[in-house]
Amino acid sequence: MVGLSAGEKHFIQGGIAQDLRADGRKRLNYRPIYVETGVIPQADGSAKVKMGATEVIASVKLDLARPNPSQPGKGKVSLFVSCSATAGPMFEGRGSEELSTELSVALQRCLLGGKSGAGAAFDPSCLSIVDGKLCWDAYIDGLVVSADGNLLDALGAAIKAALTNTRVPVANVPAGASLDEDPDVDLSSQETTRIDTSGVPVIVTLTKVGRHYIVDATSEEESQMSSAVSVSINKERRICGLTKRGGAGLDPSIILDMISVASHVSEQLMNKLDSEIAAAEADEQDT
Amino acid sequence: MAGRGGSTPATYSPSPATQNKKKKAPIFTDSDWVRPDTRGFTQCRPAFFRTGAVNAASGSAYAEIGDTKVIVSVFGPRESKKAMMYSDIGRLNCNVSYTTFATPVRGQGSDNKEFSSMLHKALEGAIILDSFPKTTVDVFALVLESGGSDLPVVISCASVALADAGIMMYDLVASVSVSCLGKNLIIDPVLEEESYQDGSLMISSMPSRDEVTQLTITGEWSAAKIHEAMTLCLDACSKLGKIMRSCLKEAALASQE
Repeated sequence: MVGLSAGEKHFIQGGIAQDLRADGRKRLNYRPIYVETGVIPQADGSAKVKMGATEVIASVKLDLARPNPSQPGKGKVSLFVSCSATAGPMFEGRGSEELSTELSVALQRCLLGGKSGAGAAFDPSCLSIVDGKLCWDAYIDGLVVSADGNLLDALGAAIKAALTNTRVPVANVPAGASLDEDPDVDLSSQETTRIDTSGVPVIVTLTKVGRHYIVDATSEEESQMSSAVSVSINKERRICGLTKRGGAGLDPSIILDMISVASHVSEQLMNKLDSEIAAAEADEQDT
Repeated sequence: MAGRGGSTPATYSPSPATQNKKKKAPIFTDSDWVRPDTRGFTQCRPAFFRTGAVNAASGSAYAEIGDTKVIVSVFGPRESKKAMMYSDIGRLNCNVSYTTFATPVRGQGSDNKEFSSMLHKALEGAIILDSFPKTTVDVFALVLESGGSDLPVVISCASVALADAGIMMYDLVASVSVSCLGKNLIIDPVLEEESYQDGSLMISSMPSRDEVTQLTITGEWSAAKIHEAMTLCLDACSKLGKIMRSCLKEAALASQE
């Protein structure tokens, strides 16, 4: 990434203070969001999201597996993000490991909920086939193709779209079959069910530059941030996860203020995303 | 708990205001949770800190909070690797690892690979990086026994170790976590409580400056609950900060004699 001159830094900070950012947006405006679903035919669900120059792809793959003995009626969900070297030469080889781990952990925190499963994006019991014996393992993978800031929000949106796009095959287990060894599960039927994604939260990242917060920061604006708070909020305006990133200390009252601003912004983002995803799904079905 | 040496018993309880609040309006879920170590919901475990645990390091500290035992050593400031670019501020390198016997099931500690970057984020806001340009400070944390609420103990112990090493900081970083079990908020959870939790909130703050360096929330919360949990944690952080300071003062007095 090219460094910024002192003049450019001053321009960015001054613009944000006056509610006019470098690309003409206001502080709480998102860049145009484009959603495309079904981009990976081999995956059970996939989506590509573009926010300005940031482009991410999320895919959901389902595999048959035994459920966790502690949670026999639920499938397992695992989430992992990787950064492709196409996003920039600093992501080649080991370089992306730190960023990938950070993004993966933040997304896991926001989307997978607490240890008992409360606050999870969707109910994993819809992935169960036979209680205690057979379930679907959902592997959610995110890929950063092009990075221009606000990766977390874009990945959250892509995963939401990918989950909506996921078709879970209906597995017919022959009655009376022994399930101790690999069972003969009949997956030949073309029927699929969908996952209920009405509870999937959106992630809103508020970046604090100077004394003001902006939403959807570009990578130039992110380089000027003092700290950032990423909040995951669902339809009922309940907070499903929060991560504070960035080094500077923040007053607790400012954090609470950022949470309420994020809550306010999340409503518009949720509506925009829902309509984009619905449009993308409709497009995909037409083709 | 291991011997405290000459230090006064380091038990502490939250301010009367928060404790009364909990007692006046008890909120029970269908199973009335009694904490395994009979603490109140808003009572933290007694904390013990001792500096100078590792002689070879620039600074080190050992912390024992309940069953969680952590040792942290700080090396530096020392020369950055030649491969790294020139930097006019210092660099902080953190690493958190678990011993294989730390967890009840052998080797489970390797699930917590993200603790290193979380420790880094919690500390970088408190260290005055301009005071050691071109060099790196290494913080190595080892969890000897995982008894619940591991990362907060690691963060608190690391800031005591940094102080012991003489690294300039704006303030000590104290860290506390709160678990949400049904409708109850339980501070400083043990391993058993963490496995049943519906949500958790971990806060790292600089008590004297009243600033939060790190905040992570998992699970489903309402804004009001977050507010309640944050006030509870910040209060506990300031008390923990006082204990950390008294430990450092004792160590300084002892070395003067």
